[in-house]
Amino acid sequence: MDTNSNPRKHYQRFHVLHRILHIIIIVNFTFLAITGFLLYFSGFGWAGFWVSVMGGAGILGRVHRFCAVFLYMGILTHVSWLFYYKIVLKQKLSGPDSILPGKKDIKDMYQNLRYVFNKGTPPLFDRYSYLQKVDYWAVMLGMQTMGITGLMMWFPEAFTGIFPGYFINIAAHFHFHEAVLAVMYIGLVHMSDTHLVPDIFPMEKTIFTGKIEKKRFMEDHPEEWKRQQMMKD
Amino acid sequence: MQTGILRIKAKLQTGWIYPLLTAGYFFLVIAWFSSARAGTGTAPLSTWFVDMNQYTAAAHGSLKCEDCHGPMNSMKAPHPDPGAASFLKTRIKRDFDYQACQKCHKTAYKRFLKGEHAKAAAKEKLSGTPSKTGEAPNCGDCHSAHYSGSHLSRAQIGKQMTETCGACHPEQKRSFLADYHGKAAVNLGYDKAAFCTDCHGAHTTLSLKDKDVALNACRRCHFDATPEFANIIIHDSTKTIALKNETKKSSLKWIHWLGTLSLVFVVIVLVFFYMHTGLLMLRKLHKKLRRHK
Repeated sequence: MDTNSNPRKHYQRFHVLHRILHIIIIVNFTFLAITGFLLYFSGFGWAGFWVSVMGGAGILGRVHRFCAVFLYMGILTHVSWLFYYKIVLKQKLSGPDSILPGKKDIKDMYQNLRYVFNKGTPPLFDRYSYLQKVDYWAVMLGMQTMGITGLMMWFPEAFTGIFPGYFINIAAHFHFHEAVLAVMYIGLVHMSDTHLVPDIFPMEKTIFTGKIEKKRFMEDHPEEWKRQQMMKD
Repeated sequence: MQTGILRIKAKLQTGWIYPLLTAGYFFLVIAWFSSARAGTGTAPLSTWFVDMNQYTAAAHGSLKCEDCHGPMNSMKAPHPDPGAASFLKTRIKRDFDYQACQKCHKTAYKRFLKGEHAKAAAKEKLSGTPSKTGEAPNCGDCHSAHYSGSHLSRAQIGKQMTETCGACHPEQKRSFLADYHGKAAVNLGYDKAAFCTDCHGAHTTLSLKDKDVALNACRRCHFDATPEFANIIIHDSTKTIALKNETKKSSLKWIHWLGTLSLVFVVIVLVFFYMHTGLLMLRKLHKKLRRHK
């Protein structure tokens, strides 16, 4: 029935804006991680060597700040798109298509963990699986902490006008720990869950092309697929 | 007839391996030479005997011995007896009269006399015992009169200074190197960052316990620094520094507590998701392999 009414092989999943924003995040995140960790671990010889190759501490610091601003502008673009989506396009931000966490995600995670131990079937995801939601919110919330703590260290003169001096030191700890979390999460969890999964390996192209194969759509987002078919009928 | 190993050997011997090995050895030799050369730049251990080659190359190389040590007969003292038990056993840096330095370095000497190290020396003289940090230093304890280099860059001087100050203040050195200033300045040679003397003063060696003095030090680079700015902790250490300062003690408690909390959070999140991903991956691999059987 599906194949007759719909001979297409690919479906549109991501808007071009989100694909561009994802690439902006990739590029800036990589540069931020490289420059930040080289500066933090400057005590080791190899880090000092690479910093001198890249132009010294001053340039590296400037690159770090430039990329931070660039990346945060991406976040702001996304937030303004959310407003546009809600106010101008009059679309719903909640509901089954939403990226907001819901009760279903906890159920899905529980079911998935049961499935891992061979007790039951894998959960049927909607438009976003709970892992995709975690990926999204890790960036969204992580960038707020990184942004605030980074600004505190960038403009300590202004922030000590409001907060006690030792808040700058706390910001430095948070900034580093959050950076470790972000890099180790993106590097292992996000990469494996998207690219290394046996059905997808070697690479997930949906976020770059915006298109998803019909087969993968039906397997990975069965609830959304079902809803789309029902709406057509 | 060739065995496997021989065949691999034959493959490796085809040309490119030799230039590569030569280049590698050449690089190693260059590295060894440059490190050996760098080694001669540092001052040797203080002895009674002056290495004239190094002396003439150093900052004071143009001075005659008498310029600092005075003419040999000025003290009207007889030449020490080479057979005596105390011959060449006196402590060089304690016995030399460093007033000779002020002939040329007037400002530095004046500042030194006003500074904390001179105060420590006076205290030491009164009580007769050195402080916990060690004997109060004079010029020669920080500067090598015979071998200190000339025309050094700001970063080179700063790196040496961190070692010099750190010899008596190891905890301060450690915490400075863990701070942004130390990392940029010493580890990366960024000469716009602050070295020890940029905050504490070269010869006055202020302790910066006083808020106003500290704020003045901050404002040398951070022009808009607020009074609270001086409470940002540079030397994150509870061992020797914070003991006398209650505000710093309580701030450090908060910093360490919240820092540990955020670290624990990071570890918990990572452990959870690593286990989740690992298990899920195994399950999916299992399913895939079974399907194709």
